[in-house]
Amino acid sequence: MLPAAAVFHFPWEISSDLVKDGASIRTFGRLTNYLPEESKAVLTSHHASVQYQVSIQTTFVEPFDPIIGAQYIVLGEIEKSEGEGEAIVHARVFNCVDGVDVALLQKAVNEQRKFFRERNDEAGAR
Amino acid sequence: MDGDQGAAEDEPPSLLWGLDPVFSAYARLYVKDILQMRESRQVPGIYFYKSHPLFQVDVLGTVVYRRERDDFYCYGVDDSTGVINCLCWKDEKWRDHGDLAKDAARGPAGGGFNVEEQLRKLREAQRSSSVLEIGDLLQVRGSLKTSREQREIMTSSFYKVNDPVMSVQISRMLEMPQLYRDCYDKPFLIPSSELSASSTDNDRPSSFQSVLSQSVHILKEFLKEKEVTRFRPYDVEYLLHPLIQQPGSNTSTEQEPGSVRSMIPAQIRNLLKETLKILQVEGEIFRKVLSQDEVYNVTEHDKDLLAAICDILREDCKREKYAEKGCHVLHILSSVRQRYSRNLSREALDVALKFLECNSDIISTTDAHYTVL
Repeated sequence: MLPAAAVFHFPWEISSDLVKDGASIRTFGRLTNYLPEESKAVLTSHHASVQYQVSIQTTFVEPFDPIIGAQYIVLGEIEKSEGEGEAIVHARVFNCVDGVDVALLQKAVNEQRKFFRERNDEAGAR
Repeated sequence: MDGDQGAAEDEPPSLLWGLDPVFSAYARLYVKDILQMRESRQVPGIYFYKSHPLFQVDVLGTVVYRRERDDFYCYGVDDSTGVINCLCWKDEKWRDHGDLAKDAARGPAGGGFNVEEQLRKLREAQRSSSVLEIGDLLQVRGSLKTSREQREIMTSSFYKVNDPVMSVQISRMLEMPQLYRDCYDKPFLIPSSELSASSTDNDRPSSFQSVLSQSVHILKEFLKEKEVTRFRPYDVEYLLHPLIQQPGSNTSTEQEPGSVRSMIPAQIRNLLKETLKILQVEGEIFRKVLSQDEVYNVTEHDKDLLAAICDILREDCKREKYAEKGCHVLHILSSVRQRYSRNLSREALDVALKFLECNSDIISTTDAHYTVL
C-alpha cells in the first residue's frame, strides 16, 4: 500500500492546528541534538526571530550518519499527544541537505501553495 | 474536482488530438492531478487534464515505497501533492551479477586508458542510478496505465537524481506553477482552419476554396505529366469540368436546363481564371508576352528560358565580379528580362532556378547566389 503524500509544512506550522494528528508531512531544520539510545533527534529553525524545534522519532531511518549542525529534511507522520503541546514526527525519510538555500525553498513552497490556493478559489467560484 | 468538471464537457474528437502539443510531450503534472485525471471514453490509455489529451507524464519525487519483483522494481513516488506507483523494468544486462563481479575482480589494468575498464565503470554507474532506496529522489518518464483501479506509470526512462542541496527539487517547484498557468491550464483550442476544413463538405458557399485547391492540383499534375511547354486557357478548361458538374447535376433537376448550361461555363471560366492566377503567383507558369493571345509558358518546361538562364550564368560567372560568389538572383532576373522576356516574374525565376539546381545544371552558393558547375 502506498503511504499518503507528505505535504510541505514549515517548522513553525507543525505545532499549530494547521497540522492534524497523523498527517503526513515534510519539513526541514538544523540537526541540533541526537540521542541514539532513545532514537530521538531535534531539528531547529528560526523564523521571525523566534526559534522553533521539531522532535523527530528516528527509529525507521536508523542507522544514519548524524551531522550535528547540518540542515536536514524529514518526511513522515506526525503524532500529537493530547495535553502536551509537543508534536513528534515519525520519520520515514531523513536526508541531510546541508547547503540548501532555505529562503529559496520557502519561496518555492509558498509559490506552490499560492498556485493551489488560486486554483481552488477558481474552482469554488465556478 | 477538476476532473469531474472536465467530464461534463465533450472530449475533442480523437482525430484532432495530435494538434495539441501537450499530447506528444511528457506532461510535467503534479501527481495529484495525474491521479485525478479522467480517462478518455474514446481511447483507453489516454487521459484528459482539462481539455488536453495526454498519455505520457514526467514526474520528479521522493521514493517512499519500494518493492522488487523478478523483472521490475515498483517505486512509490511522492512529489508532496500525491503518491503514484512507477513500474521500472530491470535491464537485461544487469541481471547476471556474476559477470560483473568477475570483471571487478580483475581490477584495473596497470596504467593507461583501458576501454573495458571505463565501460565497466559506466555500466556500474548506470546500474547504481537505476536501483533506488527509500528517500532517494527519482525522475521518471513514462506512459500512464490504470490497472486494478490504480493509476500507475509504466516508465520508459527513470534514474536516481543526485540532489544534495535540493536545487533540482526547488527549481522544479518554482517552475511547475508557471508551466500550469502558461500551458496546461490554458484550454486547447482547435485551430479554426481545421474546423472549417471538416465542415466544408456540407457547407456550399465556403467550398469554393476547396474546389480551387483541387483544380490547382489537377492542373499542376496535368502540366507535369504531359510535359506541357505552353498552353492557352481553353486547352485545359475541360480538365475542370468534373469539379463543377458534380454539384451542378444536383441542382439541374430543379432549375431550367437552359440556364444551368449557361451557368456552368461561367463558373468554370471563373475557376480557371483563379487557378491560373494562383499558378502564376507560385511561379509555376508565366506569360512571355502580354498580348490578346493568352498563352502561358510552363516555367519548368520552357527550354528557351532554362537555356537563357544557363547562358547568363555561364557568361557572367567568368567576370571577376561574380567569379567567387556567383550571380545574385536579382542580377539574373534583370538579365533574363532583357534577354528573354520582360514579363518574367521573380517567382517564376525561383522555380526555374530550383529546377536547374535539382538537375545539377547550376548550384547555389548562398540562398540568393547561383553559379554554374
